[in-house]
Amino acid sequence: MRVKACALLAIATTLGVATPQVQAQGPVILKVAIVQQIDSMNPFLAVFQSSTEVGRLMYDYLTAYAADDQRVTEGVANRWEPSADKLTWTFTVPEGKKWSDGKPITAQDVAFTYNLMLTDEVARTANGSFVTNFESVAATDDKTVVIKTKAPQVTMLALDIPIVPKHVWEKVTNIKDYANDQMPVVGSGPFVLTEHVAGQFIKLKTNKNYWRGAAKYDELHFVYFQNSDAAVQALGKGEVDLVNRMAPAQFDSLDGKAGVTRNKAQGRRFTELLINPGAQTKAGVPIGDGNPALKDVRVRRAIAQAVDLDALVQRVNLGYAEKGAGLVPPVFGKWHWQPGAGELRKFDPAAANAALDAAGYPRKDGTRFTLRLTGRAGRAYDEQASEYLKRSMSEVGIGLDVRLVSDNQLNEVTTAATYDLAFSGWATNVDPDFILGLHTCAQRPGADGKGGTTDSYFCDETYDQLYARQLSEFDEGKRVEIVKQMQARFYDQVPAVVLAYENALEGYRSDHFARFTTQPAQGGVIMAQNGMWGYYGAEPAGRVAQASSKGPWLAIGGMVLVAAVVIGVVVVRRRQATAGERE
Amino acid sequence: MSRFNAARGLSRASGGISTFLSHRAGVAGAAILVVAALVAVIAPLLIPADALDVTRVTAAPWQAPGVEYWLGTDHTGRSVALLVVQGAGTSLFVGLTAALLAVGIGTLVGIVSGHFGGLVAGALLRVTDFFLVLPALVLAIALSTVLPRGLGTIVLAIGLTSWPSTARMVRAQTLTIEARPFVERARALGGGHGHVIGRHVLPSVVPLVLVNATLAVATAIVAESTLAFLGLGDPTRISWGAMLHQAQLHGAVPQRAWWFLLPPGVAIVVVVLAFTLVGRALEAVVTPKR
Repeated sequence: MRVKACALLAIATTLGVATPQVQAQGPVILKVAIVQQIDSMNPFLAVFQSSTEVGRLMYDYLTAYAADDQRVTEGVANRWEPSADKLTWTFTVPEGKKWSDGKPITAQDVAFTYNLMLTDEVARTANGSFVTNFESVAATDDKTVVIKTKAPQVTMLALDIPIVPKHVWEKVTNIKDYANDQMPVVGSGPFVLTEHVAGQFIKLKTNKNYWRGAAKYDELHFVYFQNSDAAVQALGKGEVDLVNRMAPAQFDSLDGKAGVTRNKAQGRRFTELLINPGAQTKAGVPIGDGNPALKDVRVRRAIAQAVDLDALVQRVNLGYAEKGAGLVPPVFGKWHWQPGAGELRKFDPAAANAALDAAGYPRKDGTRFTLRLTGRAGRAYDEQASEYLKRSMSEVGIGLDVRLVSDNQLNEVTTAATYDLAFSGWATNVDPDFILGLHTCAQRPGADGKGGTTDSYFCDETYDQLYARQLSEFDEGKRVEIVKQMQARFYDQVPAVVLAYENALEGYRSDHFARFTTQPAQGGVIMAQNGMWGYYGAEPAGRVAQASSKGPWLAIGGMVLVAAVVIGVVVVRRRQATAGERE
Repeated sequence: MSRFNAARGLSRASGGISTFLSHRAGVAGAAILVVAALVAVIAPLLIPADALDVTRVTAAPWQAPGVEYWLGTDHTGRSVALLVVQGAGTSLFVGLTAALLAVGIGTLVGIVSGHFGGLVAGALLRVTDFFLVLPALVLAIALSTVLPRGLGTIVLAIGLTSWPSTARMVRAQTLTIEARPFVERARALGGGHGHVIGRHVLPSVVPLVLVNATLAVATAIVAESTLAFLGLGDPTRISWGAMLHQAQLHGAVPQRAWWFLLPPGVAIVVVVLAFTLVGRALEAVVTPKR
């Protein structure tokens, strides 16, 4: 009896695999592999990269970043005007844009969204930093929003806040518990969320009312995978159409695979090695237990000099990265900084050794002192790079005690400053303000160890003065200069060594989708953009090609089905035949 | 008296050896173990330090097996053959020490609870039961997550989770020994706890413990490989489990780099099999009539 149930189950499973293939002949679906979980579909609470990515598809922001060069372009608003004192900004929301339920998008919706964040602390959870400097927001009519700020703010055209429909959200009484799952979810973006089963799939339909025009296909599905290995396998078999964040080895494995096109893009992320510079709270009280030797900038420089960045890029990133320098990755061209000839720290263990000798840390039995290196277990980069660093540091007489820990533990260690060296990394935005702000004195935690999101416990007067200057510098050329000076200062003081700017490694089924819009146009990414262009601009390959690709699938499905039935029957018969012996 | 005892022990030992030799599988296992132990001890002396130094290797990563690299290269360009040889030391060391720890704890708890009985036994057995019902792997994972990463932690995690079965078995053996007339006689003649345990119980339990230890090593090696595979081992130390972990992490499967997955896996299987075979043969020696 149990055996029969098993056989039935096997048949049901194969049928389950086969059905979506049959359905696919109807709507054109872009299937995207996703590994990271969704923390919330509520745009005011969503922090995870995966959630904000889906959020960008559902809601437009006030302004957007163009696909080709990331310049500020039309979002909900199409015109903006700062006052002479840069304290009052007037945004114009043009007529004719509609929510997915057909109601018009007006300035009232914008004012409602920002005011909700100003009045409700919970609504500031995800994007609060953008509105902390706001004095007031008002919609003077359906087309005009006026935002007054307390101090001049350069990031007024980079407000990454999803604008939500007033007529839906004014009925929400408790933001914290609102899951935003009234399907279909009313939005303004190119796609409408229609179904979400946590840990299994997210389904979106094309928004026919989208003001830029509807996307060229019907549905967008995010399918969950346990790990990226499985996702890459699925791409190879044609079960999904788009995969990102591949490891170099996975990316290499798709080389020359029929029907798969690879996209090696400049990423927005960098990987860094934190060097505890003597962590202190905002009030200047030491916290954590970083090795005191690292307070000496000469020691930090020597450590940085002993790390062979080229070798790390070549061997650990397998060449799919660019050598690290400043805090802003090269993908953001003008903000990116490279050390000049005089500033450059060349890889030179001999010079590092000499510097450490001069700093007063002689070798005893070959070792000067031992440092802890904390990284995340299970992250390929940390596991491999820690081996390289251990060897490199032993060259200059520094012992490394490698500790690979869980995500949470790593977070605790870096927050409590109980590290000497630690791996970290950040994704950066178009505007460098956020990533630069992470390293200011004000971002250090309070006495209780909370508040503040410092990355490196860096606190430097010169750096802070520059930070304040760039924040109120509206001449972009001058601001670029200041931002570069800040990065040079950071490089010189080394509270962290920027190791590499990782390439974003993506792959897609070019037999299903012929073209994707990358951002920026040259060497850009498809997924994890500052926008939704990758998904929105996807162009399906000819229907004929798609239909033909289904033939073998049906055949395979059929074969599996037949095999399952045969096996099931045989097993049942055998069991019946041997039943006498068994019981 | 003592000479007589020694002579009897000698003849028993030689009888045991001949029994063991009659088990061909056991002999084969022992031979494998001798080779593995030799490799583990000698290899680190013969392998040049540069060959396994990720910053010094020159070979291309993911090279398929060939003339120069018999088992190909891993994701960093190190020779897989050398890694397997180098990994033998760690796997055997962790296996042996963890097994010794487990058997040590088990023997102590077993003898003490068997000998003293009553409240002591009750308390010890409840602790044993507690560890027995806990899923060992989950407990080991929890322990190695909480404690700092390293070889010591792995040994501790395996040792602390695999002693209860030994304790149960040793207790049973202790009880049967203590029920025999000669122990009663020793007690009547004024033998204290120390005397009874040291001179009568322990010698009778040791053969059983030895067998148990041999089998425990096999379990411990698998446990070490499991923990290392899950990424809970010492990240900078080469072991077979760690190799499997790296192979999985760095994409040996999508690369189709079977040469990075198979050799450490086969090595684990062979050594574990060898320990099991030796253990079974020893078991036959200790309990000849079955």
